[in-house]
Amino acid sequence: MIEILSVTGPASVQDLGRFDQYRFGVGTSGAMDDVALRAGNILLGNDENAAGIEIPMMPFRLRFDRDTAFALTGAGVEAEIAGRTIPPWWRSQARAGDVLTIKAMPRGARCYLTVGGGIDVPTVLGSRSTQFRGEFGGLHGRPLQPGDILPCAASTATIGELGVEPADVTLARAAASADETIVRVVIAGEYDAYDEATHALFWRSSWKITPQSNRYGYRLQGPTVKPRAPIEKRSHGIVPGVIQIPPNGQPIIQMRDAQTSGGYPKIATVIRADLWRVGQARLGGKLRFEQTAYADALAAEAEMSAYLDRLRTNVRLVEEIRACR
Amino acid sequence: MPIELTDIERLAQILERSGVDAIEIEEPGQSLKLVMDTGARMAASPALAATAGPAADHSVIAKADVAGHFLAAHPWRDKPFVAPGQRIEAGAIVGLVKIGLLYAPIVAPATGIVDAVIAETGAMVGYGTPIVRIHPLGESSPIS
Repeated sequence: MIEILSVTGPASVQDLGRFDQYRFGVGTSGAMDDVALRAGNILLGNDENAAGIEIPMMPFRLRFDRDTAFALTGAGVEAEIAGRTIPPWWRSQARAGDVLTIKAMPRGARCYLTVGGGIDVPTVLGSRSTQFRGEFGGLHGRPLQPGDILPCAASTATIGELGVEPADVTLARAAASADETIVRVVIAGEYDAYDEATHALFWRSSWKITPQSNRYGYRLQGPTVKPRAPIEKRSHGIVPGVIQIPPNGQPIIQMRDAQTSGGYPKIATVIRADLWRVGQARLGGKLRFEQTAYADALAAEAEMSAYLDRLRTNVRLVEEIRACR
Repeated sequence: MPIELTDIERLAQILERSGVDAIEIEEPGQSLKLVMDTGARMAASPALAATAGPAADHSVIAKADVAGHFLAAHPWRDKPFVAPGQRIEAGAIVGLVKIGLLYAPIVAPATGIVDAVIAETGAMVGYGTPIVRIHPLGESSPIS
């Protein structure tokens, strides 16, 4: 078991998401940085869909009540277990009674704590992810609070300390500056309702991530984006990654806790291979959109899969060598 | 248990599959070193080994226990894990060995003051390559 000692923002239990209920209007939820959650689970030899804790704000403290293998991935954090510093994207072994302290998050926006066997909250509608909107899943369908006790699946063998190369090192992309993230998008349904000058404005602008950005969506700030003529649409199905332009002309990127439908015109959609980069973009930071062809979006996804494949093979190699000894 | 030819073949296949450059296995009475022909060269020069040798009287040495490339700092961090003059605790991480996408820790064998970081970042290191020289403090016994 894990006891939450202190928590600052809306930390929550998340797995990869709830994918079979969309037709009933139930959003996916799931880790905002699914690559990081997978990497943590790979490090621990877990099922990659095992639930972990998504931690968006520091400080954060918890206590392990028994020997537990755990990993920290995602955002770069300053973390300590029983006084030892933990490097980024790292697995380690906690002893019963050890306190994990995450003090600061100098890089990225969400840190993932995974544990050997996974966080064992009940599966609701096929997933352990917290659904904030519907208030179910995760731990009682709500953000974690001090005093919460999280059940962990039975821990297995002890593991040695080991790290992996963070996804944004292996899958590095050029950026104009440290606080600007470039994400690839494909154009969406109403793109042609905007004139050429507006298209150019959309592509060349650096969009500020406002404080009204969270798991539901990111509200961006920049020059006003206006269609040739006002667009009135009925609500229709949308997915995480869709970039909508509401009447005020300031884009919204729908994220993991987005509604399953909406009526605002859609100018573009963040490709799946870059959605985790948005999830790690910080409030106050900048986003820039790069137009990508569908084939290139698939190639980017293949590149992401190749990274995860290498992680799996490399971690397995270490365990095989250990078994040989 | 002797290392069989089939084991070596299997290890070589694993290395190739994983994009790992080299592996060293040491057991009582036998050692095995496999290096993939990727043009990488071992950088653990005799000169460096000598610096870490007898001159260091009471010093203890943190050594690599796996083959790969030495990283003095995590790629996300500007500061290296340790710098000369710094006090470190036994078991603390003094550097990393990068093998494919893996980062294996190199740990301090004893509590003490860092004397020198012997290995150069990016250098190919192997099993037993000296990485950091530490001047031990007090009666804390070295751990293995």
